Amino acid sequence: MKKKYGLYPGCVMPTEQYAYELSAQAVLSKLNIDLIDIPNQSCCGEPLKSVNKLMTLYLSARNLALAEHHNLDLFVPCPMCHLALSEAKKILKENPDLKEKITAQLQNEGLTYQGTTSIVHTIDLLHDHIGLETIKKHVTHPLKDLKVAVHYGCHLNRPKDIGRPVDSENPQKMEHILKTLGSNPVDYPQKLDCCGALLTINLPESALTKTGQKLDAVQNLGFDVFVDTCPWCHKMFDARQTKAGETVAKKLSVPVVYLTQLVGLAFGFKETDLGLHLNQSPVDALLSR
Amino acid sequence: MSIIDLTSMAKPQEDIKREINQRLLKLKEELPDYCYQCAKCTAGCEAHKLLELEPHKIVALLKRGLIDEMTNSDVIWTCMSCFKCWERCPQKVAPVEILFALKNLSVASGKQIPGQYTSILQSVLTIGLIQDIQTITSKEGKTIDRTALSLPQLSKPLEPMKFQAVIAQLAMEKI
Repeated sequence: MKKKYGLYPGCVMPTEQYAYELSAQAVLSKLNIDLIDIPNQSCCGEPLKSVNKLMTLYLSARNLALAEHHNLDLFVPCPMCHLALSEAKKILKENPDLKEKITAQLQNEGLTYQGTTSIVHTIDLLHDHIGLETIKKHVTHPLKDLKVAVHYGCHLNRPKDIGRPVDSENPQKMEHILKTLGSNPVDYPQKLDCCGALLTINLPESALTKTGQKLDAVQNLGFDVFVDTCPWCHKMFDARQTKAGETVAKKLSVPVVYLTQLVGLAFGFKETDLGLHLNQSPVDALLSR
Repeated sequence: MSIIDLTSMAKPQEDIKREINQRLLKLKEELPDYCYQCAKCTAGCEAHKLLELEPHKIVALLKRGLIDEMTNSDVIWTCMSCFKCWERCPQKVAPVEILFALKNLSVASGKQIPGQYTSILQSVLTIGLIQDIQTITSKEGKTIDRTALSLPQLSKPLEPMKFQAVIAQLAMEKI
């Protein structure tokens, strides 16, 4: 029987990062996971945490309440949303005063909150819940001789006090998945560096510099491909790669793909099924291999 | 309402001033006492090299009571919330959380909100998301959106009026 998850798409993936949505749907469907659409969802609030933390808490809580209403656990492909929802769950469990305040507001939207929904991200869903053995069974086109640089995305790693799906200082789950696909992930000194995406809101030039510095290092180390799992990070490394290169005076040419796109290639999916025609970085070099 | 409005009004608005002061005081009380200035936060800070953010100094200055100076400073808006300072602090001080509180305080006291934050807030208020569906261009130069890719309808608040009422009320709440 297919296991069901409610899909919490967030803002960035469903409004522009269509490749992530397409590839996640394709790969998870093959792995016997059904993603259920939940109407009435909203932003998780994390991008507005600098403006008003209470608003962030409410926005996350209402999305958790919606999942509870449909009696579903949530698949949250965006690390930023994953952190916001996890933090909201923790705060509402530990702080009765805030919980009272938030649940009172939820009633105005006809919602109730208990705190029963589990949250998974792409990486722990693949690694912990589906498992490497099952993934291995579906690999028909192993990714041989592919030197991969991984990028987890800060919100997925830290802070561990809130409970994160991967280790804060030495995450390896993505590497395990990539090895199962037959590829060769290699650690590099800049692995945990931030993409700077959140600075796009108020210091866009600096944000691009962060992206440029990391990609420059990856390019110099001779990687074949750069893999991420966050729509915010991906937007920086993929769509804004040329601009990011300009900020560090380098011509960057690094193929950037979502983890789900690489898994899909190893499973034998067509490029368009995985949205690879939507990537802005030079993925042709990867596909012609 | 900005600080300039406060100072240029013929009759000073004592209530608002008092309220701001109370909020500042609250933050000061909540500041963790355990920072011993090891600067591990600054050593790992993603914004340090590029934008000269020094989380350990922010904590030190706050403990000396320079809260207003901090909420007025642009430097609090250089944090990219990578959470390394929270993760690595041996004393569980979490400078990133202090920076969030300072930014919230700055906004609540009517200071200018930098960059695109206001338009993001506006977008969340009106459609529930930070942006609406974007048309993107594929490598062959074709314009594409969700419909062209047969992706399901975008999930957003079904009763915008109720949603907006709650968000607007929260925006007015005290920290």
